[in-house]
Amino acid sequence: MTLAQVVVSGLLLGGVYALFAAGLNLIVGVMRVVNLAHGELMMLGAYITFWLFTLAHVNPLLSIPASALLMFMLGMAVERAVVERVVKQPLLSSLLLTFGLSTLFIGVALNAWGGNERSIPFLSGSLPLGPLLISQVRLVAFLIAVLLTGATFLFLRYSTFGKTIRATSQQPEAAQACGIDVTRVRVVTFGIGSALAAVAGSLVSVMFTFNPEIGQSFLPRAFAVIVLGGLGSFVGALLGALVVGVAETVVGYFTTGQWAESVAFIVLIVMLLIRPSGLFGSDE
Amino acid sequence: MIDLAGAATAVEPDRRSARAVRWERLLPKVYLVFLAVTLIWIAVFPQLAELYFVSLALVVLLAIVLGASWNMLSGYTGYISFGHAGFFGIGSYIGALLIIHNLAVWWLAAIVAGIGTAAVAVPIGALTLRLRGPYFAITMFGLAELARIVASSWDSLTGGGAGLYLPFLEDPTSNFYAMGILAVVAVASAYLIASSGLGLKLLSIREDEVAGQTLGINTTRYKLGAFVLSAFFPGVAGAIYARQIGYIDPISVFGVIWSIRAVATTMFGGSGTILGPILGGITLTLVAEWAWAQNPFAYQVVFGGLIVLVLLFMPGGIMRLLETREWIPRTRRL
Repeated sequence: MTLAQVVVSGLLLGGVYALFAAGLNLIVGVMRVVNLAHGELMMLGAYITFWLFTLAHVNPLLSIPASALLMFMLGMAVERAVVERVVKQPLLSSLLLTFGLSTLFIGVALNAWGGNERSIPFLSGSLPLGPLLISQVRLVAFLIAVLLTGATFLFLRYSTFGKTIRATSQQPEAAQACGIDVTRVRVVTFGIGSALAAVAGSLVSVMFTFNPEIGQSFLPRAFAVIVLGGLGSFVGALLGALVVGVAETVVGYFTTGQWAESVAFIVLIVMLLIRPSGLFGSDE
Repeated sequence: MIDLAGAATAVEPDRRSARAVRWERLLPKVYLVFLAVTLIWIAVFPQLAELYFVSLALVVLLAIVLGASWNMLSGYTGYISFGHAGFFGIGSYIGALLIIHNLAVWWLAAIVAGIGTAAVAVPIGALTLRLRGPYFAITMFGLAELARIVASSWDSLTGGGAGLYLPFLEDPTSNFYAMGILAVVAVASAYLIASSGLGLKLLSIREDEVAGQTLGINTTRYKLGAFVLSAFFPGVAGAIYARQIGYIDPISVFGVIWSIRAVATTMFGGSGTILGPILGGITLTLVAEWAWAQNPFAYQVVFGGLIVLVLLFMPGGIMRLLETREWIPRTRRL
């Protein structure tokens, strides 16, 4: 593999990171809840695609809508039943709560499906592009991820409900005073964030082997992406995701996979230390 | 704005005064009795109980050490750390390496492991304690994972993913004594901190750090002190644990589960209290042991579920529950 090949592969991977981070970005921005269970929402999406493929031979690409819809509903249910109760409490309550949810989801998945590595054989070929070979599955995943991230961006920007979401994100009290049902906005936002994570999970399930703990390695990447790009900035997060994707594959190319895994942590820690108030933009 | 919450707490001392003040005066004596009973129990228990129960009690003591030390930082200052596993793992490796290479007697190795871990914590704390809320929590989580990656990549020192084997140990009694003493020291230090002016200063960081600074409290110094102390104990505990288990690898000692245990233990018992980690350590370890016997994965469900349930229905843990039922009086020092 040449370095150019590695960079392209990293860019394609970055697209999926962008989609995964977009959901988290939305939840953190609108609800001020740092969702530590976001990786597990992705993991559940991966398993939905896996089981639909294994049990019913559903094409993984066709299972994406199912994965999104199921996790949209589960996300809304979790928000309404659990997260909503701590939304107005200090940040640390929601941090601990979602930490507990994350542990719980992993435990349930381990109990239900075991800890062994799963994979889906799908689109394993490559396309030649000049001197490069593009992995088909990564290309398809990248296109879907970028399209969905873009669609979410347009939805937030131009649709009426998207505008109520942004209004709630900027000024919850003022939004409420204008007649916006902020609880409903939060419920739907969490649902959308979960659906985006689930689609990212479905895409990851055809790219990598995975087990119930896969979300743990993706969450830090999402934080690195958000910290790089800036909270609430979809374009910034997309660029951040591409940077993290490329950095990881390049580091993995020159060293071992172990160090590639540490790239997200190092980016995250360095960014936070250089710009401690980076995420929210203000000293909160 | 009218501060209703503030007004309510201002009234409280008078309402509870008679009984609680008497209790507060009595408390040091209660604690001394409790300390004496605990020490006698630690001395006698391994002589009377079967090996299985000695090992189980050792895990209870380990949970108390993890909870009490996590509580020193996170319970009192409000800086929630998800990185306790990192300190536990670093201590395990320092202790294991010292023992394997015959550089120190095992108990000295454990103490050195604690000091080494605390030394590592100084620069880490100096950097990360500038972050607040979720940034601190996530960075600590990231650093613990980074420590795991370093441990599995540094083959020449740590043996990488293959792990390290320690001399086989048939009798856990010496480890039990060590862990017992460590738990007593951890809880006693927490008590001494909480009942001194230092505890109030740490609480001021949790309640309103800027206000604390305005009153002339060097919050940076105090929270760094709490951070380093809270890293010392899991360091020692990690070394004792490594000797007890006889085999360590990066996943077993740097696993997130150690951070989860520290958080769950403290929250279930009552964070920011002295007795909380003890109550949490006993109940959660026994529940975990039971869950483990049912199914090796069940305990993660139990811990995760408990954190969620406690936050929703029992904020403040067992201690708050006992206080609201007035089974124990409300005092800051419990």
